[in-house]
Amino acid sequence: MGLQVGSNPMSMDAIAALLVERFAGELDDVRIQEPDTVVARCTPAKLKDVAARLKADADAGYETLNWIAGVDRGTSFESVYHVYSWKTNTYLELHVDLPRAKPEVDTVTGVWPAADWHERESWDMVGIVYTGHPDLRRILLKDDFVGHPLRKDYVDLAENHPHV
Amino acid sequence: MYDQFETPEPDEAVKLALRRIEESTARGEGSDVDGLAFNEVVVNMGPQHPSTHGVLRLVVTLDGELVKDVIPVIGYLHRCKEKLAEKRTYFQYIPIVDRTEYLASINCEWAYVMTVEKLAGMQVTRRAEFIRVITGELMRIASHLVAVGTFTADLSPLGTAMVFYMFRDREIILDLMEELTGARMMFNYYRFGGVRYDLPDGWVEKCRDFLKMFPKKIKEYEALVDTNAVFLQRTQAKGVITQQDVVDYGITGPNARASGIDLDLRRTRPYSVYPELDFEVITAQHGDIFDRYRCRMDEMRESLKIIEQCLDMLPKGPVQLGSLRAPYVITPPPGSAYVGQENPRGEYGTYIESDGSRYPYRLKYRDPCFCNLQLFPKLLSGNKIADAVAISGSIDLVLGGIDR
Repeated sequence: MGLQVGSNPMSMDAIAALLVERFAGELDDVRIQEPDTVVARCTPAKLKDVAARLKADADAGYETLNWIAGVDRGTSFESVYHVYSWKTNTYLELHVDLPRAKPEVDTVTGVWPAADWHERESWDMVGIVYTGHPDLRRILLKDDFVGHPLRKDYVDLAENHPHV
Repeated sequence: MYDQFETPEPDEAVKLALRRIEESTARGEGSDVDGLAFNEVVVNMGPQHPSTHGVLRLVVTLDGELVKDVIPVIGYLHRCKEKLAEKRTYFQYIPIVDRTEYLASINCEWAYVMTVEKLAGMQVTRRAEFIRVITGELMRIASHLVAVGTFTADLSPLGTAMVFYMFRDREIILDLMEELTGARMMFNYYRFGGVRYDLPDGWVEKCRDFLKMFPKKIKEYEALVDTNAVFLQRTQAKGVITQQDVVDYGITGPNARASGIDLDLRRTRPYSVYPELDFEVITAQHGDIFDRYRCRMDEMRESLKIIEQCLDMLPKGPVQLGSLRAPYVITPPPGSAYVGQENPRGEYGTYIESDGSRYPYRLKYRDPCFCNLQLFPKLLSGNKIADAVAISGSIDLVLGGIDR
């Protein structure tokens, strides 16, 4: 038995305080969402570095990526990373704002291997470009599909899916 | 007219497989038999292959019988469920959640309903919580029966008998559920703040009959395969998921627990009335195919224990909050919530963002099979193709959940 769930139990306040202290200037807007999630914001430029350090953190150690969701916010896009800490048995929800004109962010596949398919899904559905991704293809829709359906301004046209 | 001799243009996945072969040949890798530069063949498995249990397509690169590389292709069952959420009210969306992972649809409903309840700050009546646990655990047994049954059917002729026995006994659970909800698989039963109907007269007795009968059946299944030499040879020490894989790829459910990790959301992140119930988190040591099979069998026993306790503790009272009718229109305050739930296959969760209107602004599924499938290229490579079938069966994929 190597891995234990919750081997380093900490209160939510302590985790939030720890993140604020160790990631000062990198994680903004840190707040607690009861019962078990810390929500924070990060800029796309710093994401890759922050992700690597979040994973390697000795006390909290967010080692597993649970999922990534792309969200269309109207004026901008958002990439939401939901990561899990085995040590403290809590989650971190990391929101990254991306400009609508150029929705690009560095890939985190190098940090969390699970990000591979989740980033592909987010690209497929919302059209967020994960630069440096090893294989950024569509995953749920067909290769020749046009557009990104979960964008709020997406209009479904027959020519978007030529094979139907 | 369709030309049957026309060679179709390879799609992106096949092109990728061919490109990887070229790259490995250029690096001088690959076996070199009889002076052949490479003898790898790209084989398309699925999407209509019986052992993929659904419309999963695997583009497999074979070197003789050895699997060199696997590229899963998914999306054949994509039904735009996340898009559909944009134009449905929270209430109208419940039956659509059923159809994501159809073998354990009540557990999917549970995750969705819990998320909305968390967003809207709603309470659930106590009797409804117990009914939720009972139905959820019944469907866990039904789902494990299908999982183990179809998996053993892939392995040996003996399993073909097994799958019939298991479907026969699953029928009893589906009958119970039909009596309770009116549907056999697509229940549409959970409501925000409760469940749709109370238990009908005599249902508890019928359920107890099932609980009394079923342990004997589990022994029967185990007698069929547990000591079978063919079964053991094909399952032991094959397709090992290490603890590092679990951490890297977010593997959950019996697949993670078979590797010796006590990750069970019913324990680690208790919801509903699970904290009051006494049950064990089943784990195994090796993380191979056999351990995953064992975990599922033992989990069925634990589920029986849970149901029995719930039937004993079942309180009286309403099954729906407030009036007899469910709240049809709810408008959660702006915000987001994510709730994970222990589905038979792992952590099934929904992430919902609300903008304060009657419709979800963004709904996203976290599906356990999607995450488990991501491990396939790593898990299958280096095995024989026949073992690849056994391994993929033991992971227990439901394509409805993966493709959404």
